[in-house]
Amino acid sequence: MSREIAVVGSPEFTTGFRLAGVRRCENVPDGEKATALDDAVESVLDDDGVGIVVMHDDDTDHLSRRVRERVETSIEPVVVTLGASGAGGLRGQIKRAIGIDLMDEEEDDT
Amino acid sequence: MAEDVKPTRKNLMEIEDRIELSERGHDTLEQKRDGLIMEFMDILDQAKDVRSDLNEDYDHAQETINMARAVEGDVAVRGAAAALKEHPEITSQSKNIMGVVVPQIESSRVRKRLDERGYGLLGSSSRIDETAEAYEELIETIVLAAEVETAMRKMLEEIEKTKRRVNALEFKLLPDLRKNQEYIEQKLEEQEREEIFRLKKIKAKKEEEASEAAEAEREADETAEEPERVSADD
Repeated sequence: MSREIAVVGSPEFTTGFRLAGVRRCENVPDGEKATALDDAVESVLDDDGVGIVVMHDDDTDHLSRRVRERVETSIEPVVVTLGASGAGGLRGQIKRAIGIDLMDEEEDDT
Repeated sequence: MAEDVKPTRKNLMEIEDRIELSERGHDTLEQKRDGLIMEFMDILDQAKDVRSDLNEDYDHAQETINMARAVEGDVAVRGAAAALKEHPEITSQSKNIMGVVVPQIESSRVRKRLDERGYGLLGSSSRIDETAEAYEELIETIVLAAEVETAMRKMLEEIEKTKRRVNALEFKLLPDLRKNQEYIEQKLEEQEREEIFRLKKIKAKKEEEASEAAEAEREADETAEEPERVSADD
């Protein structure tokens, strides 16, 4: 089954992806992120036709604890964050599972 | 916990079997956990490269779109973006790494020719083309990152699960079973000692009774002999 890519973020963030052909874009202006971002993210996470969700890493700060947890652990669709370290919830998960903060090493290398 | 078990030989044998099985399971799970961690380390190396490519591609895409906005204006960029007809799609298959099913994501219709972009050759500039190209490249890297990061998450979940099982066997199940084994062994030894003591007691009592009976018999014989001797003397 083929799925599509969805982008969630401010119109400035999503425009570039529209240029590359992405049609599922959830535009949430910066001023409304605190109130509308949760719903926008949940709508794409609940959509079976979406395989990958793209967000800016800074936008995850606007999410409620519950939605952020979903974003960090979601596998279908998988959420890829751009900007900053982009490590998302992986860092904590690696620390829990392996016992060492391997992303620390990763940041030193890059 | 240990007091709940009946101290019988049958239970002891059952517990010994369970300990053996749990120890074998513990060793196997430990090997699985170590194997998964090694596989994870390989994926982590790959993830580092992909993440660094992703950051580079994102920075480049940002630069090109900012330039396009500055030169062509935001409206022109948005107009071109709204004209796109071809949409990138992804399909996923799965592969198995040590029992963990991880996805293999493939993308299609990401890279497009100029004439496929829909905004027309005359109505746009090279800045917009460059931006579209930069974002197409970014999407390809995003697809790769999604594949690698999903594999990482799944591997981490499996590592956590295996680790929890190893810990439960090592720190809960095996100590409990060994405690029960020790308890039953102690109880059985105690019962054995009591049995030996009881047997000794019975033996001593029987011996005492036997010696008393012998004494009584001897006395009876002696008393029977005495009147005979007295009558003979008379």
